[in-house]
Amino acid sequence: MEAVSLTIDGVPVTVEKGRTVLQAAIEAGVRVPYYCYHPGLDIDGSCRVCIVKIEKMPKLQTSCSTVCSEGMVVSTTDPEVADARAAVFEFLLINHPLDCPVCDKGGECPLQDFSYSFGPDESRMDFPRRVFDGEGVMADVDFGPTLMLNRNRCILCTRCIRFMREIDGDAQISVADRGNGSEIATFDEEGVHSLLSGNLMDVCPVGAITTRDYRFKSRPWDNPAVADTVCTMCSKGCHTSVWLKGKPEWARGSKLVRITPRLAPEINGYWMCDIGRFGYHWVEGERRLVRPIVRGADGAQAAAGWHDALRTVGMLLGAAREGGSGALRFVVSAHAATEEMFVLKGLMEALGEAAAATVHWQRSEKDQPAAVKFTIPVTDAPNVNGARDLGYAVGAGNDGVPDLSALQQAVNAGSVKAVYVVDPGPAGSIGDLSWLAAARTAGRPAVLIVQAVESSPLTDAADVVLPGSAWLEKDGLFTNDQGRVQGASRALAPPGDARDDWSILVDVAHALGVTLGYAQAGDVRKAIAEALPGGPYADVDQVTFARPVKASHWLRTSNPSERWKWDFMFQDLPPVKGHSVQTEQGYVDGRVLPLRPVG
Amino acid sequence: MSVSFQPLLTRFVREPGSATLDFYRARDLGYEALRKAVTTLQPGEVIEQVKASGLRGRGGAGFPTGMKWQFVLKDSPKPKYICCNADESEPGTFKDHLLMERNPHLVIEGCAIACYAIGAKVAYIYIRGEFYHVQRILEREIEAAYRAGFLGTNIFGTGFDCDVYVHRGAGAYEAGEETALIESLEGKRAQPRIKPPFPAVSGLYNCPTAVNNVETLCNVPLVIAHGPEWYAAIGPEKNSGPKLYCVSGHVNTPGVFEAPMSVTLKELIFGCAGGMRDGRTLKAVIPGGSSTPVLLPDQIDIPASFDAIAKAGSMLGSAAIIALDDTTCMVWMAKNLLAFYRHESCGKCTPCREGADWLYKLLARIEAGEGRMADIDLLLDVSRNIGGKTLCPFGDAAIAPVVSTIRHFRGEYEAHVREGRCTVPAGWRGRGTAVMAH
Repeated sequence: MEAVSLTIDGVPVTVEKGRTVLQAAIEAGVRVPYYCYHPGLDIDGSCRVCIVKIEKMPKLQTSCSTVCSEGMVVSTTDPEVADARAAVFEFLLINHPLDCPVCDKGGECPLQDFSYSFGPDESRMDFPRRVFDGEGVMADVDFGPTLMLNRNRCILCTRCIRFMREIDGDAQISVADRGNGSEIATFDEEGVHSLLSGNLMDVCPVGAITTRDYRFKSRPWDNPAVADTVCTMCSKGCHTSVWLKGKPEWARGSKLVRITPRLAPEINGYWMCDIGRFGYHWVEGERRLVRPIVRGADGAQAAAGWHDALRTVGMLLGAAREGGSGALRFVVSAHAATEEMFVLKGLMEALGEAAAATVHWQRSEKDQPAAVKFTIPVTDAPNVNGARDLGYAVGAGNDGVPDLSALQQAVNAGSVKAVYVVDPGPAGSIGDLSWLAAARTAGRPAVLIVQAVESSPLTDAADVVLPGSAWLEKDGLFTNDQGRVQGASRALAPPGDARDDWSILVDVAHALGVTLGYAQAGDVRKAIAEALPGGPYADVDQVTFARPVKASHWLRTSNPSERWKWDFMFQDLPPVKGHSVQTEQGYVDGRVLPLRPVG
Repeated sequence: MSVSFQPLLTRFVREPGSATLDFYRARDLGYEALRKAVTTLQPGEVIEQVKASGLRGRGGAGFPTGMKWQFVLKDSPKPKYICCNADESEPGTFKDHLLMERNPHLVIEGCAIACYAIGAKVAYIYIRGEFYHVQRILEREIEAAYRAGFLGTNIFGTGFDCDVYVHRGAGAYEAGEETALIESLEGKRAQPRIKPPFPAVSGLYNCPTAVNNVETLCNVPLVIAHGPEWYAAIGPEKNSGPKLYCVSGHVNTPGVFEAPMSVTLKELIFGCAGGMRDGRTLKAVIPGGSSTPVLLPDQIDIPASFDAIAKAGSMLGSAAIIALDDTTCMVWMAKNLLAFYRHESCGKCTPCREGADWLYKLLARIEAGEGRMADIDLLLDVSRNIGGKTLCPFGDAAIAPVVSTIRHFRGEYEAHVREGRCTVPAGWRGRGTAVMAH
């Protein structure tokens, strides 16, 4: 790295050559406000709030567009800078509606925060504000299926335009009209239609673009805790943060309110797709299985305790295991964590040739522009590579097509006595198993056991249903399509009697007389590390999983470009029942395995 | 007072058929400068001659043309481009219009020589959206130049290829800013880019580009045809060559006048343009288009050159001299110009987008007699917050009428506030809405 040394506000700073003054200031923790700059997008230089004074330059310079040079002397606090900067804030707020109390961004709004820090005390503007079609929320328009747009709040930083042009690869947003009448617009008011649309809310520095999902749902100070985890909706493995809403008076504890991307330069950058961002509602949905279900002698399903359910499973599987080679079949969703697959593998080895397993998942081609910079893989499951590493047959490459035809033939031929489905993903994510439900109803196989998280036609047909945990409710390892082993962390408690999937499998093994000897998830990871030495799994027993932390702390330690501006938020919030908010000292910054080069 | 100068650029513009190639070959330079450049000079020598001539850009900034060409990256593997800035939109300016309409081959020859000098094969003439008929003339004459072998491939058998295209904009003032012009040529909104990189390094399609005004390029064939020493001898030092002046306002005979830059503003107004109409008194002069500060009558006995007008506190700009007589309310004038600027602000950067509108509203309030004394200082303060803090020079242009009229005519502003009406005897002026340029 070629380095450049400069002075910012008297503090010597050394940065990589080619960095801009603004980036150097951010790295050095010097406060410089900005709107049009975003670390993931091209430089625009249009908002003008990042102006600084640089010695030997005749005019004030925008720090976002000025590249650091050796010996540069920069001031961000010179009275000339402070005046000019305050003037830009005065300009920015001329037409901004200041409807912060009803704005979704209020409390986490850079315009609000920076204006308090750098803006003038009051505006000298005494003319009516420009409104596009009425004051306040009346100016809201639909902005595609996922977003809403409030043009009155927009400060024309054009981050959304650049995101669509540079990252999405389909420049759906543009500015219409010009000058003071400029407004963000899409062709024929069609709105944004993209699988990356949610990122527009992230990049918008004001409340102009909001997601329909999060709109009016919470305020930042009602989201006291955040957990860093990894998305499991496809094989990309984007780093995400899960925001938990909770109030002291809520007996139930906190609730999931949104998922946002977390910087991971080599995986997802600053972005995530809408599938992962908005596809979390099933986790706290009505269809979650909260108690084991056993089909009684009368043929009807009834809730049961774990003891009875496991005993029934042991009985049914124990009979099937005597049915000869391949009589007991496991179908495992590629949504299962590596720990679960590993435990299942141990069980199968103990059962011998009677048992066989097939991994299955869904694939879907994503409709994305040819020039897109953030591609969503076709594999809709997080752990196909983990399954392969453990020795399951999943085909080669990242785009393998799962195949259940052999199992289906065996089931039709009647050689399969029992099928055990391990499905910790949302309903349907394991693929189309309606044929299996129909086959069980027809009596072949005689036994169907489903370990799942959501009720579905498959669980309706099952003899025993064992409620497992969704990915946000357990610590688990997933190997993404780059071969990175990543830890997805537990952010919530599983509902009702639902349990960690690996421990269910250990108990099922026990019911079959197989003792695997794992008392906790760490034991499983240790065994994985021993079983797969030398490779990416060699130190999986060392993974520290993140826990929900105070949002204030999270905000300061997350995206380094954003970190300082949150200082005044989230102070003195009362503790929330239901999860323990850890102290900053107690939080080890080891949320996932360190990134390693692939291959 | 009269100016005796044999026009070089506009000598034949009033003769019928002056736009045709036959006329140009028979009476004017007739592409002999291009022939001389490509057959006897190396590209570097062309640049050296233009530098030696002291030719400065005629678009407004007065940057030395030869130096601009020298900055174009020679060693870049990318293609280079010449953009001819024909987006003449500055209020009061109408010289390029005349050149393109009446002497298009001089423009085309200038484009071709410029291409040869910087190693470009393509020149784009970016013409203002409203100049529809001029575009048709240019395209017709470019076609004629192709047929005669002055454009196209292997010009004069030297292997030099040059294509000239006319691109008509959609009619935005901001498209005259060189990087906004480039953006518009690329099919985007006419909004300026941040500099650096300058167009000479990364311009059209991110390739090295020189953007030159129409009049600038028209001067280039003169330099080549007659030599840099001959050219440099015209007019004062460092302000060489013939210059077109657009004199308008309350004068008897407004029009385009060609003169060396030793001519004074006074000669232009009272000589060339026939003095003030109805024998009225001169009140103020805008010397270089609406974005230059006004000068007072006692300041105009100076040469209309880049340096002399800059010394007087204004700018030669595009040499659009607007003479204002004593019926002009300066508050109204500033409001009228700000109506133009707020309409034409591209909206990209904050101070200009928000500030121009604010200035207009303040001026409209004062002009309507509803202003407050504090509004006058507020105008100055808002102007200060725009000036020098915008992405492109538009912000500086927009505040010039406000700041300079308050500086020289603060009494008129105060009278508006105090009396609630205009005190200037200007019965001809309606109280209607401000003139919107387009």
